[in-house]
Amino acid sequence: MSINALSTQEALNSLVSSEDGLGPDEAQRRLRDSGPNEIGLIAGEPLIWKFLRQFTHFLAVLLWVAALLSFVSEYLNPGQGMLQLALAIIAVIFINAVFAFAQEYRAEKAMEEMRKLLPFNVWVLRGGVEKEAAASAIAVGDVVLLKAGDKVPADARLIEAREIRFNNAPLTGESEPVAGTALPFPGELVRSPNIAFAGATVLNGSGKAVVFATGLRTEFGRIARLTGTVQAGETPLQREINRLTHIIAALAMGIGAVFFTIGYFIGVPFWDNFIFGIGVIVALVPEGLLPTVTLSLAMASQRMARKKALMKTLTSVETLGSVTVICTDKTGTLTENRMSVRKTVELALGIKPSLYEIALLCSNVEIIEGRPEGEPTETAIYNEAVRSAAVPGSVRLAEFPFGPEIKRMSTVCSVGGRTYVLSKGAPESIFSICRKCSAADPSTPRPLEEAVPVCNSLMDEGLRVLAFAFRELKPPEEARTRQEAERDMTLAGFMGIEDPPRPGVKEAIGKCGESGVRIVMMTGDSARTAVAVAKQVGLFSGKEGIPVLDDADFRDMSDEALRPVLSGRAVILSRMTPEHKLRVVNILKDSGDRVAMTGDGVNDAPALKRADMGVAMGSGTDVAKEAADMVLIDDNFVSIVDAIEEGKAVYENIRKFISYVFTSNVAEVMPYIFFIVFKLPLALTIIQILAIDLGTDMLPALALGAERPTPEVSRTPPRAEGKRLLDLPVVARVFFFLAMIESASGFSGFFHVLYSSGWKWGEQLAASDPVYIRATTACLAGIAVAQAANVFQCRSFRESVFRIGFFSNWLIFPGVAFEILLLLFIIYTPFGNGVFSTAPLGWDVWLVLAPFALLLFFAEELRKLMARRFFPEKKPSI
Amino acid sequence: MYGKILAAVNEHINSEVSARYAINLSKVTGSRLFLCHITPHEAAEEVRALSLDAVDRLLRCARSEGVTAEGVTGSGDVVAGIVRLVQREGIGLVFAATRRKDVERRFYAGTVARSLSIGLPCSVALVRVVHMGRGQPREILVPLKERMGRVTEMSYFVAMMARAFDSRVYLFHAAEKKKAVSGIFPRDAGVRPIEQEVELPPMVLNFIEQLEIYKVKHEQRLRAGPAGEGLTMEAAARRYGLIIMGASERSLLSSLIRGNPVEEAMRKTPCNLIVLTARHEH
Repeated sequence: MSINALSTQEALNSLVSSEDGLGPDEAQRRLRDSGPNEIGLIAGEPLIWKFLRQFTHFLAVLLWVAALLSFVSEYLNPGQGMLQLALAIIAVIFINAVFAFAQEYRAEKAMEEMRKLLPFNVWVLRGGVEKEAAASAIAVGDVVLLKAGDKVPADARLIEAREIRFNNAPLTGESEPVAGTALPFPGELVRSPNIAFAGATVLNGSGKAVVFATGLRTEFGRIARLTGTVQAGETPLQREINRLTHIIAALAMGIGAVFFTIGYFIGVPFWDNFIFGIGVIVALVPEGLLPTVTLSLAMASQRMARKKALMKTLTSVETLGSVTVICTDKTGTLTENRMSVRKTVELALGIKPSLYEIALLCSNVEIIEGRPEGEPTETAIYNEAVRSAAVPGSVRLAEFPFGPEIKRMSTVCSVGGRTYVLSKGAPESIFSICRKCSAADPSTPRPLEEAVPVCNSLMDEGLRVLAFAFRELKPPEEARTRQEAERDMTLAGFMGIEDPPRPGVKEAIGKCGESGVRIVMMTGDSARTAVAVAKQVGLFSGKEGIPVLDDADFRDMSDEALRPVLSGRAVILSRMTPEHKLRVVNILKDSGDRVAMTGDGVNDAPALKRADMGVAMGSGTDVAKEAADMVLIDDNFVSIVDAIEEGKAVYENIRKFISYVFTSNVAEVMPYIFFIVFKLPLALTIIQILAIDLGTDMLPALALGAERPTPEVSRTPPRAEGKRLLDLPVVARVFFFLAMIESASGFSGFFHVLYSSGWKWGEQLAASDPVYIRATTACLAGIAVAQAANVFQCRSFRESVFRIGFFSNWLIFPGVAFEILLLLFIIYTPFGNGVFSTAPLGWDVWLVLAPFALLLFFAEELRKLMARRFFPEKKPSI
Repeated sequence: MYGKILAAVNEHINSEVSARYAINLSKVTGSRLFLCHITPHEAAEEVRALSLDAVDRLLRCARSEGVTAEGVTGSGDVVAGIVRLVQREGIGLVFAATRRKDVERRFYAGTVARSLSIGLPCSVALVRVVHMGRGQPREILVPLKERMGRVTEMSYFVAMMARAFDSRVYLFHAAEKKKAVSGIFPRDAGVRPIEQEVELPPMVLNFIEQLEIYKVKHEQRLRAGPAGEGLTMEAAARRYGLIIMGASERSLLSSLIRGNPVEEAMRKTPCNLIVLTARHEH
């Protein structure tokens, strides 16, 4: 049998211990066997490995290859500037690595926060002698002494309990005190009142307990282990960028190999071919992509912070946009957690004690400076009762506290020379200890069934219903135990407590419905109350059915049976304890859902970590906040939905600036292809490619990352798992349309300079030739100028710039201004000329280039117009 | 299958918990139980006294459960003594507890547990005790490997343990996703994890069929992913009372390269764990 089901002596026997505890030697032996009583760190990947991994991913490997080739080239054929290029590429690798590491690195503070919940020292009995010992030195079989204010060091079976009460909130999330007892309990160990759990606090009373689990083997350790072990996995954005870099690598290597072979057969000199290979890699790899993505996500997280959603990991910003299901607590998130009694039903008037008197005497509200202080529900009841009845003079003889499993509390009070047992709690719990309803004439008792419809009608109004009952103890009857007290009671009536929905929740749920985001509502309330609240917040209309599962259903059903239920548009999990959250997340994730899960307690931490988007409440525990990806400052559901909209916009923005960046990347490759195929002078040097990728393109791309979500975004369904950052329409538009115009712009500038200087087709120029330098500068300027026009067009794949408004994203203008100023700096300053091998251009070159910028702008406008006209539905993304 | 069961007892409480599993199993299988303690020559007298106390307690416990049990004590080399006893009595199954310091060693090299699991001619149940509070496991987790030896015995052992504690059995099979040939484009893009689950290998199906013969309540839990990590997470998430798994059949080289899920489970298990080295054909 489990230790909770054993008598105290059997429990001690099973642990080979005694009421005097272990002897010092035996304690040492056991400590050596089981290890110290600590929440140790779960071994993870060392930080240094995490950092080094940033240098070995596919994109980095590709750049390393390019750098190596540059070094080799410099060694074998010096003086071509390949050394500077190699160093520049390595700098790019380091910049990318630092950005990626900063993004990925997240101190695992949740475990540290958990450790703070365990005590440092504890009093134990060793061989019958009381002594203070380090909590880490506690072994299985040790007898620990507990008193008010102590933290429990390990899981222990109570062998003595003197009115001891625990706060088990770190484990259960319930802040209601739990009364301890040394009596055997036949139910589950985790629900047993004879167990003192590690991390719990003794609120009052005292007791002795024999330790049966220490360290990570305690319930608290189990949560810590899960928190340290579970991983949500890669975010969708990480997966997509990973995939994108693989495609780019394949593309770069493919193009490189094909044209290298062509070059070989048509007799291109080896060193020209070699430069070509490096050039293709550098041109196609978007060196600035990772820093731009990171900065864009950082900007989005700033916007979310203004909406009271603090993002803890940057990649999670985008994950929000792909969330398909939100699992949310009801109280405090959908509702205000501001309780007030809306309806009171007394089943009989004029009887003693009245319902209000029961409410006042069966309460643990404390009056501090004239104001009631306590649990919101308790305070609401007290306020209502004190308005209707005077607090009767009484003496409390005993109390049987509220427990999350039993869902009721009772007191034994002496009032006016009579002794009563007074109880309040969840209706089903109170009904189970009542025999009849109260009646004005006690000689004609009313059956209990009469009260059921009354109770149901209150619940159907969305009220949290509490039932009240009493029984007079006739001498010599005593009520020393709960079982003796709570029986044959008379039901006095009900109070219906209202917790109003938060403003805006209904609209937010409406938005979720429109965009296909499902909602799982989890509550400790009864099913009827939960359904009524669900109606109030628009979770369902009442015409269609809504699946409601309670705690028992949830335990009994297999994952396979639960899967279809949880895939419904909305689901209510009533009378639910937080420990099931991890299972809910696992089932949903296995079904392919991307899950946002709310939580605030220590025991929510594993589920928050496992969810794609763990959402901790600002009012929650530090452990929950550390385990989550997002913290809601105002605990408000509306903020989650706002953040989801922002996440959707972020993904679209990343697509926008990726298409912007790739336009120039493809345009940068074209000179190398022409160089090999047509044996033309190379129109763009490798260092000039970097000037575009890491220079002129950066700020305009970032400005695209700051595009605000459009109203349509809120109605857009969550992004499908298979949807790509670069899909076929975007690739076609970028590679075969925009990039071609940009290439034409670059080549126009290049050939304009060459021909105006008397160059003849087929003539080769030295790298140091001033004409050649001016020509490559013109090509660089041609691409950059076209990009300045392109940035406006990349703001929408489909809508006209004139319709979305030139100034609706004002950041574009400083971005473009930076691009032009940097370009001018590169072209017209000796420093820029020295670093990038450029030379000043005449006004004639700009006159040649300007029309291409206009051409790109208006050609794209025309394409969008045709796309809107001819593909209104089928191709929404172009 | 197990006419006679032996439980090795020493001064550590782990061995006592391990022996209690043996008592419960003997009860349902009607086996004769030997509670054996062999004191090493170098051990202190206190060790012998503690161990004999444990044997006494366990004998009382076994007899109160109606199990035919006898205590066997001796001194000398522990492994050699148990081997001799097993051979002499024709014992079918030996229960032995492992200790923390055993599992900290790679492949438990040089430990009594390792010597017993290799050297005994009968089946060996190595018990890793980490939780003293759940003497009666309500839920037993059984990780199933793609390649399993002695399926008949393994299923019988699991069934009898489930019957002994009236437990529900959860069969867990984790298989790592097969990577695309090129490794460039993930094949499973857009595929839900539930759809990634691999087909159950024939040996696992065979195990389930065998288990159903004993009418044991069971549920399957299938996961795509690394076995060791998945198992640890599953065990912690569901509060299982006991894990029963077959001994590793990976070679030393394979274990060094690919890791050893059994060894990993021994180290990280959040609940008590029995690793069965099955040696009975039927």
